Amino acid sequence: MKRLAKRIELLFRRKRFAADLDDEMSFHREQAAKDLIANGMTPQEARTTAGREFGNATLLKEQSHEVVGFSFESVVQDIRYALRQLAMNPGFTAVITLTLALSIGANSAIFSVIDGVLLKPLPYPHSERIVRLFLSGPEYPKFPLNPFDFRDFRERSKSFESLAAYSRGDMQLSGTGEAVRLSAFGITSGYFHVLGLKPELGREFERANEIPGNGQQVILSDRLWRTRFNAAPDIVGRKITLDMKPYTVIGVMPAGTDHPGNDYNAVPYGESVDVWWPFTFAGDPAHRGSHYIEGIGRLKAGVKPEQAYAEMNAIMAQLGREHEGDKGWNVLVIPLYSEIVGANERMLWVLLGAVGMVLLIACANAANLLLARASSRQREVAVRLALGAPKRRLIRQMLTESLLISLLGGGLGALLAEGGVRALILLLPAGFPRAHEIHVNGAVFAFTFLVSVVTGILFGLAPAMQASRTDPKRGLYEGGRTTTGSARQRGLRNALVVSEVSLACVLLIGAGLMLRSFLNQLNLDSGFRQDHVLTASLSLPETNYKSEAGVAHFYDQLLMDLSRAPGVQSAGAGSDLPWTGYDENLGGFTIEGKRPPPHQEFHARYHMATVDYFRALGTPLLHGRFFTEADKQGAPNVLIINQSMATSYWPGEDVVGKRITFSDTPKEKDWLTIVGVVGDVKDKPSSPHAAPAFWWSHLQQPNSDMSIVIRANTDPRLLADALRDEVKRLDPTLAVANVRLMDEVADESFSTPRFAFSLVGLFAGLAIVLAAIGTYGVISYSVSQRLPEFGLRLALGAPPRDVLRMVLGQAARLAVGGAAIGLVVALTLARVLRSMIYDVSPADPVTFVSVVTLVIAIALLACYLPARRAAKANPMEALRAD
Amino acid sequence: MAKKPDLLPGTLDMLILKTLTRAPLHGYGVALSIKRLSDDVLTVEEGSLYPALQRLLLAGWVKAEWKMTETRRRARFYTLTAAGRKQLGNELAEFDQMIAAIGRVLRSAEA
Repeated sequence: MKRLAKRIELLFRRKRFAADLDDEMSFHREQAAKDLIANGMTPQEARTTAGREFGNATLLKEQSHEVVGFSFESVVQDIRYALRQLAMNPGFTAVITLTLALSIGANSAIFSVIDGVLLKPLPYPHSERIVRLFLSGPEYPKFPLNPFDFRDFRERSKSFESLAAYSRGDMQLSGTGEAVRLSAFGITSGYFHVLGLKPELGREFERANEIPGNGQQVILSDRLWRTRFNAAPDIVGRKITLDMKPYTVIGVMPAGTDHPGNDYNAVPYGESVDVWWPFTFAGDPAHRGSHYIEGIGRLKAGVKPEQAYAEMNAIMAQLGREHEGDKGWNVLVIPLYSEIVGANERMLWVLLGAVGMVLLIACANAANLLLARASSRQREVAVRLALGAPKRRLIRQMLTESLLISLLGGGLGALLAEGGVRALILLLPAGFPRAHEIHVNGAVFAFTFLVSVVTGILFGLAPAMQASRTDPKRGLYEGGRTTTGSARQRGLRNALVVSEVSLACVLLIGAGLMLRSFLNQLNLDSGFRQDHVLTASLSLPETNYKSEAGVAHFYDQLLMDLSRAPGVQSAGAGSDLPWTGYDENLGGFTIEGKRPPPHQEFHARYHMATVDYFRALGTPLLHGRFFTEADKQGAPNVLIINQSMATSYWPGEDVVGKRITFSDTPKEKDWLTIVGVVGDVKDKPSSPHAAPAFWWSHLQQPNSDMSIVIRANTDPRLLADALRDEVKRLDPTLAVANVRLMDEVADESFSTPRFAFSLVGLFAGLAIVLAAIGTYGVISYSVSQRLPEFGLRLALGAPPRDVLRMVLGQAARLAVGGAAIGLVVALTLARVLRSMIYDVSPADPVTFVSVVTLVIAIALLACYLPARRAAKANPMEALRAD
Repeated sequence: MAKKPDLLPGTLDMLILKTLTRAPLHGYGVALSIKRLSDDVLTVEEGSLYPALQRLLLAGWVKAEWKMTETRRRARFYTLTAAGRKQLGNELAEFDQMIAAIGRVLRSAEA
C-alpha cells in the first residue's frame, strides 16, 4: 500500500526523480575520479577510468527507472514516442491509416449485418424451440399442409408444447377513412403461444374460434391500432368493417410482433402483418387433397427437432393408411431460424470472408510500408541497441506504433461503418430477413476493436522482429545511408506483395464469377416484356359481389374503360402476376386419351386471365388464339396453356383442340378445350425453369382477387392515378393495392444476386487497388535502392529500354507468382460459391483468364512510374547521392 | 585484470543495509565501504547499486536525504529506517542459517 503510494508520488515527480539520479551519478563519478587522482592517475585518465567503471549511464538510468516506474509509464513513453514518429511522417501515416480505416470499416459494416441477421436470437422467447412444418413429396419438395392433416397432427403428436397453423388471406378495411388493403393471416388457436407472444390488450383465439361461423373476430397489430384507431383503449369489443363484414376486435398485439415469415403467398419476416383472423376448419375432413396452411410449433423443452421429425413422420404414415390423399408425403421439421435466414447465411459468410481478405491485403500493405521505413530507421535502432536497450523493449515500442496506427484506423473505420451500414441496408435485397435488426452496436464496436488490435499486431510484428535483429555495428557503420536491406528482408517484402496479389486475385475471380452469373440471369429470356407495365391488385369483397357474373362484369367494365384511357396500349387482369410468389397448383385432372405415369398425376399451375392479359404482359402467342369476349359462361369452356405444359403432356403433338377435364365423371360440358399455347414465363427470374401452367378464361371462371396489368405507350407511372380514379368511379369502397411497375417486381427478384455481386465487386476493387499500391511501394523502393546501379548500367551504354524491362520484369515476376497462387486458392474456394452462381462453372476459364490478365496488367501499370525513373537514372547524380 | 568474485545472489540488499547500520552514507560511500570492509574482495557494480538503492527506498527500508559532504558537495545520503533494521535482522538470520547449512554439507563431504 505504502509502496503504491510512493510509486504514484514518483510518477508525478518523474522529472525530479531523473534529475536526482543524474546528480547522484555524476557525484559518484567525480568521487571515483578524485580517488584515482589521489592514487596517482592524471585527471584525464582518472575521468575515463571512472566513467568506464561506472558503466553505461543511460542504461543505468533506464534500469533504475524500471525499478521505481510503473510499467504503464514506459507504455506512455512508447506511445509518446510513437506519436512523434507518426507525426514526423504524415504522408506515411495517412496512407496506412486510411487504407486500414477503409478495410476495418468494411469489415465492421459486414459484421453488423451478420450480427443483426445471423447472431442475434430471433425476437421470440426460447426461439430455438420454434420449428416450421411442411410436407414433402417427390413432386413438391416443400409444400403447405392440409387443414385436417394439421388437426390430426395437433391431436396425435406429443413433441410440441403447442402447434399452430396459419395461412395468408388479406382483407380490406373500410369505414375508418379511405379503404385500405391489410396484410392479414388466418391463424389457429395457440399461434401466438407458439411464438411466445402475448396480446397487449385482450386475448388470442381459442379452439371455439376454429369452428365455422364463430370466426367473425379479429386481432389487430399495434401499428394498425395506432394509425387507424388512434390507439383507442376501448378497442377490444368494438366492431370494425373488414371485407364489408363486421368483425369484433378481441385483442391487440404489442409493437414488435414479428411475422415469422411464410412460404405460400409469402409475406416476409418482420412486422409485416396488420390483422389476424381465426382460421376455421370448414369442409369434409375426409378430403385431404387441398394444401394451403403452414405449420409452426413450439417444441417441448428438451425435445430435439429430430425427435419431432421422427414422430411427425410416424403420424403421417398412419394418416396415409387412413386417407388416400395422405399417401406419399413426408413431414419436414425445420428450425425457424434456418427457415428465416437459411437462404442468406452462406452469402453473408462469403461476404465476411471477402471483406476479411481485403483486410489481410491492407495488413500486408501496412507491413510492407513499415518494413520499408524500418530500414531507413536502422540507424536509430542501431544506436538504441548499442546503448543497451533490450530487444524486448524495442519490439514493444515498434508494436506500440503499429497498434496506434491500427487503433486510429479502427476508430475511423467505426465511423465509416456507421455510414456503411446505412448504405448497406438501402442496398439489401427486398424482403431481406431481419434487415431492421441491423445496427452498429456494442458488439460491432467490440468486434472493430478486436480486429484493430489483431491487425496492428499482425502487420507490426514482422517489422518489429526485423528491427530488433539489426546488428548495431553494421547499422552504425552503414550510417545514414539506407542499405539495400538483407536478402531476408527483401524476401519478406516480396512474399508480402505476392500474397497481396494472390488475395486480390481470389477476390477478383469471385467477383468475376458473380458478375458472369448475374449477367446470365439478366440475359435470361423471362418470357414476357417487363418494361412499360403498371400493375396493381384488387379484391372484391364477397358481400358486395355475391355472384360470379357480378365479379366478371366489374372487371370487364374496368378493363374496357382503362383500355380507352389515353396512354394505355392494352389493359388486362390475371389471378396473379409472374414472380410474385404465387404458386397455386392443381393436380389430378384428366387429359383426354392419356394416362399419367404410375403413382403420379397430371398437374399444372392454374390461373385465370382476361382477354388482354397476355397482350398487356407481352407474353407471345405460339399457337392458336388468345381469349376473346366470346369465351364467356354458356360458351364452350376454353383453356390457354403454356409451352411447358404442351411439351410435358403432348410431346410433338399439335395441342390446339385437345381437351382436359377436372371432373372424375365428365359430361360433355365439363371438358375444356385448349385454344392457344403461350410462351413460358420463367418461374423465377433467376432460373430457366418454367412449370406447366394453364389459364381459364376469366369470363368463365371469375375470380374476385385479380392483378391488373396495364401496358403503357408512355411512362406507366402516369397511369396510376387514372387507375385509381377509374376504380373509384366504379366502386368508391374499393382499395387499390400494390401499385407497382413490373420493372420493379422484376428488379426485386434480381436484388439478391446483385447485392452479393456488387459487394464482392466493391471489395475486389478495393483489393486490387491495395495490391497495386503494395506492388508500387516495393518496386519503387527497390528502384530507389538500385538507382546507382541503373545509372552505371546506363553510363556503360545499356539502352534505357533494357532498364525499363528489368524493373518491369521484377514486377511481373511478383505479379505472376501472386496470380498463380491466387488461381489455385480460387479454384479451391470457388466451390463455396456454387450455390450462389447461376449457369457458370466455379472454374470458369473466361473469368480465370481475364482476371489473371487484368491483375498482371495492373501490377505492371503500377510499376511503370518507378521503372521510368530507373530508365532515366543519371549516373553522376546517383553516385553522388552517397 | 583478475576477475573479482561475484556477489552471492540476493546478498546485495543485505550488504547495503549492513553498511548503513553505522552511519548514513551516499551511494559512492556505500560502494566504497563494501569494498573496504571486504578487503577489496567485493566490488559493487554501480549498475546494480543504484537500482538496488531505489528498490530499498521503495520498500521503505532506507530513507534518502540531500546533504552537503565534507567537501561541500551536494550528495544523497541514505539512512537505515526501523523497518530496514528489522529486515536486515531477518536477512542476516536467514543468511547465517544458509551458510551453516552449506558448511555442514561441505564438511560432511570432506570427512
